[in-house]
Amino acid sequence: MSAHAKTISLTVNGTRVEASVPPRQHLGDFLRERELLTGTHLGCEHGVCGACTILIDGEPARSCITFAVACDGRSVTTVEGLDDDPVAAELREAFSTEHGLQCGFCTPGMLVAARDVVLRRPDADNPAIRTAMSGNLCRCTGYVGIVNAIRRVIDARNTNAG
Amino acid sequence: MGEVSTAGSGAGSGVGARVRRKEDDRLLRGRGRFVGDIALVGMKELAFVRSPVAHATITGIEIPEEHRGAVFTWADLAAGGVKPIRAVSGLPGFKVSEQPALADGKVRFVGEPVAVCVAATRAEAEDIAASVFVDYAELPVNSDMLEAVTPGAPKVHDHWPDNVFLETNVGGNIAEIAATAPVKVSRTIRTARQCMVPLEGKGVVAHWDRHVEQLVLTTSTQMPHIVRAGLSECLDLDQGLIRVVAPDVGGGFGWKGLLQPEEIVAAWIAMRLDRPVRWTEDRREHLVAAANAREHHYEITAYADARGRLLGIEADAWVDAGAYSVYPFSACLEAAQVGSILPGPYDFAHYRCRTFSVCTNKPPIVPYRGVARTGVCFAMEQMIDAVADAVGREPWQVRLENLVPPEKMPFDNVTRKHFDSGDYPESVRRAVAAIELEGWRARQKAGEPDGRLIGVGFATYCEQSAHGTAVYHGWGIPMVPGHEQAQARITPDGGLELRVGVQSHGQSMETTFAQVAHEVLGIPLEKIKLVHGDTGLTPYSTGTWGSRSMVMAGGAVATACRTLAERLRKIGAHLMQAGPDGAVLEGGSVKAGAAAVTIREIAHTWYRAPQLLPADVDRGGLEVTAGYKPGSDHGTFSYATHAVAVAVDPEIGQVEILDYVVVEDAGTMVNPMVVDGQIYGGVAQGVGTALYERMPYDAEGQPLASTFADYLIPGFTEVPHVRIIHMLTPSPYTEFGVKGIGEGGAIAPPAAICNAINDALKPLGVIVTNAPMTPEVILSAIAGKRGAA
Repeated sequence: MSAHAKTISLTVNGTRVEASVPPRQHLGDFLRERELLTGTHLGCEHGVCGACTILIDGEPARSCITFAVACDGRSVTTVEGLDDDPVAAELREAFSTEHGLQCGFCTPGMLVAARDVVLRRPDADNPAIRTAMSGNLCRCTGYVGIVNAIRRVIDARNTNAG
Repeated sequence: MGEVSTAGSGAGSGVGARVRRKEDDRLLRGRGRFVGDIALVGMKELAFVRSPVAHATITGIEIPEEHRGAVFTWADLAAGGVKPIRAVSGLPGFKVSEQPALADGKVRFVGEPVAVCVAATRAEAEDIAASVFVDYAELPVNSDMLEAVTPGAPKVHDHWPDNVFLETNVGGNIAEIAATAPVKVSRTIRTARQCMVPLEGKGVVAHWDRHVEQLVLTTSTQMPHIVRAGLSECLDLDQGLIRVVAPDVGGGFGWKGLLQPEEIVAAWIAMRLDRPVRWTEDRREHLVAAANAREHHYEITAYADARGRLLGIEADAWVDAGAYSVYPFSACLEAAQVGSILPGPYDFAHYRCRTFSVCTNKPPIVPYRGVARTGVCFAMEQMIDAVADAVGREPWQVRLENLVPPEKMPFDNVTRKHFDSGDYPESVRRAVAAIELEGWRARQKAGEPDGRLIGVGFATYCEQSAHGTAVYHGWGIPMVPGHEQAQARITPDGGLELRVGVQSHGQSMETTFAQVAHEVLGIPLEKIKLVHGDTGLTPYSTGTWGSRSMVMAGGAVATACRTLAERLRKIGAHLMQAGPDGAVLEGGSVKAGAAAVTIREIAHTWYRAPQLLPADVDRGGLEVTAGYKPGSDHGTFSYATHAVAVAVDPEIGQVEILDYVVVEDAGTMVNPMVVDGQIYGGVAQGVGTALYERMPYDAEGQPLASTFADYLIPGFTEVPHVRIIHMLTPSPYTEFGVKGIGEGGAIAPPAAICNAINDALKPLGVIVTNAPMTPEVILSAIAGKRGAA
């Protein structure tokens, strides 16, 4: 551990965590290596592919370009923390029905981003879903199954709300 | 021909059913287990010192005093008995390269590993790597394959007479046609060097298992058994002392279908230090050191009659094979394949093709999804459109004129490829109808209010998949596929374990092989467990490549399950005191008249109550290893026609895909949802090849992209909502009539999109022939015409 380690205190998936972290460690490495939350995947480590997307205080963020030390006092939610989240549960069901995942590597980031789209954009048509999701890359599915899955969840929620 | 009903009704969960995947739940909860997720007690991390120059002699490596013992070079590995990678082809004239896992006195491409650094964390290992000083005496560079074959070009391998791994010549009976053909069109065509970009990079964890006395290499691979064979050769270690395991693998597309230098290094370091070590490829390493696919150049001429009937094709093709020959596919597979598959799905008699596998100062070429077919289809389908233009017919009509018709199936083409089945012309007719060509033609005539130009393009291909023994024996490379094997074992509680040596990295095999087993045995999917990707637990296999797994391992699973079914039936009949002839296995039970015993009860008898078994019971019990080969050794031939409508903006060169249709024939589909997913994903990669993906190099061999901001892979807004139309012509040679389908989607998009762009640009009198067709390429074509006018 670096001599310059900083002590931070944050909430990870609802649990209080105190940790001494090197200033250069990004949040993705912190979550994976220290908290053993390996569901957050690192696909590029320069903030483009979106595989490492997590929630900070409820907002989607790239954990690979967020320093762990910058998360002092924040609340972080990873894909493992969405087990009981109702929107994530609907999305998991829809992703499986629509074959929105193949190798599964981009999937945790996709789910976090998709959850945000479902909550923020109940009016989204398919082009709007594509634009809203364009910060996440998938190399397997050709995106069709992912768009269909998000469409399915939005439609079901709108029907139930109506 | 067309929608032939096949084994599997599509109902239930057997062959033909669109069932959800067994692997989804863990992946959707972030609870998969990829290489990077594995941490072993005392594990160290590796970082590589990589060459910053494309060609140089290493005149010195200085390791800071405080890091001695944490940095290793080829001198250490060689002293430890490590041998360089040798991937030899038996084709006559092939020149052998030796690739040491770390550079041995010379570097031959940017990104080549020079030294390895060991530390507690990756960050600290990278710190050490940054402190290692390597002295490079730079040498002249081959950054372009056409220059590399000119006299006087610098040599990549000093002891070779030139820079050509292999030259091949196919056919030759072309001179008379060339002299007399009414129509002759020629093109220069090129595809760019690409990176495959699975979202998960490569990665490896190596440790020595002291109890089993084995090196255990957990690696992100498509072919664990082949990696083991290669490691054994390079480490001089018996294969019995090596176990290779593939955990969840985050996409491969070919990049994980080879023995990697980093795997050799990690294995050696783990044994040398007697500590677990891990290396995880980061994105920059991937983009720089693994820019290794697709780079073809064609000089091609088509000869035809006045109706556009092909009389002959003549071509010279160059493939930039990079600096070394990769294990197991070699440096020549891609170029030599060009010679044998360039004729595509067409029936013509005269053919000559010369190919060159060129050695350059770039990363070694690795077969990427579709292998040479994407480049070949790009070249051949442009020629069909060029012929159509020359004879004044619609391109789809010229395709119909030349495609092998269904009544000639099975058909041996001009290079003796054995097309097994299907109706190629019908795929074109359906594509023309589905894209609604007439509507686009009317819109073209009317013109667009925004000034954009509309174009429609088609491309047809057929794809040899699940290659047989003869083809690979012909290559003479380190790997020849033979009989594929599967193990099937009824568990004591009546479930089923399947063990296969192929490896699933997104292909959904945990589900689809279970569907195959369910089709035969009737055991519910949730009680079927697939074990794969582990040399310690599965039969030998050359792995997952070449769209082979469902044909080969699926066939083996079916064969093994049939043997099990017969054994179950005999035991079941005995338990019911029925004659064996009157008993049938149906819906997971053996039935004789009104009586029935379940597989669970039979399993209980074999394992827990053997006193009840018949005296002549098969002593192999409820566990079977069976081998499989299709009825033909020539592989299966799936095929497709892709149709695309585009709008091209002549002012800014931008291409928008307005509609995209795939009409394809994969034979019987085990799971149509999974087949569709493979096609959607393949098309997305093909769109990348067509419009976006290119690793540029400067004259010094420096790669000019190293992030996703400058190497562009297509995202949500670049990939169209593809429409798929299935034709279902079962292969006459395989279990259930399945054909390989994993790669096909990636083959035709560059060709179809290029033809559509050229259709759009027709009023301007310009064509583009090189991929990717970026705005820069399109605008320079238009500007060239304006400049000439």
